[in-house]
Amino acid sequence: MMTYADRVVLVLGIALVAWLYAHYWGADAPGHYARILVGNNEHEIVSLQTDHEIRVAGTLGTSRLEVREGKIRFIDSPCRGKQCVHSGWLSYGGEFTACLPNRISIQILGRHPRFDAINF
Amino acid sequence: MVLQPTRDDLRIAWLTALAVSIHLLESALPSPLPGVKPGLANVITVAVLIYFGWAMAAWISLLRVTAGSVLLGTFLSPTFVLSLSGAVASIFVLGLVTLSTGRTLLGPVGYSILASMAHVSGQFAVAYLLFIPHPGLFRLLPIVMSAALLFGVLSGIIAHHMLRRLTHP
Repeated sequence: MMTYADRVVLVLGIALVAWLYAHYWGADAPGHYARILVGNNEHEIVSLQTDHEIRVAGTLGTSRLEVREGKIRFIDSPCRGKQCVHSGWLSYGGEFTACLPNRISIQILGRHPRFDAINF
Repeated sequence: MVLQPTRDDLRIAWLTALAVSIHLLESALPSPLPGVKPGLANVITVAVLIYFGWAMAAWISLLRVTAGSVLLGTFLSPTFVLSLSGAVASIFVLGLVTLSTGRTLLGPVGYSILASMAHVSGQFAVAYLLFIPHPGLFRLLPIVMSAALLFGVLSGIIAHHMLRRLTHP
């Protein structure tokens, strides 16, 4: 029923569909950079490729951030709730956390950010 | 002077009527997702392409979309624009393939897969350019393309059996 060329078309079709799933539904690539904001101003953009610790001066005092294996987190901040510390590691494009009392926020920069903005 | 319809004109009219009927019957079927439907009128396009050639298939495909939309009340609406862009894309791809390889290399299944996938691609391109210029639209593409592949194969098999009965009655 199918000619040789028909089979080629079928295989190419299946390959295209598989590629579409991988491309449009695949997990977002881990981000390579994180943007650190203090207030509304950009403090710095750090690469997540080298493990290191960063100290950022905020309104209340100094927050400590840790970069390890392509991820970033707050390890300490001079706030009371410590929500920033409890939010844990960030690694995917678009992920975001902040220490609002100290006015410091981190956003992972990715090729495919998962959202444009968040309102609380 | 009275215009005499040629044999081909009559064929186009009859086959278009058949394709429009299928198109209308299918529009009554519920669809699980916008954009996913069997596209069985494709059977006629593919069978005509193989039996009578590309030009007649193009006529029937475009007339079917136009007449079908008039009967469904969607003429010149966004639905019609999408339907037309799908038909134009698939006719274009079928034309490219028949021009470059002749009409014997591919069988009904191959043509049908090409037509249905080109149909969806054309629709998505136009939907993105004209109606929903948001990259989120393409999240739908893998599902709709899977359906196009599946229904393309099915329509191709139906067209194959139809052609076999036409050539060996």
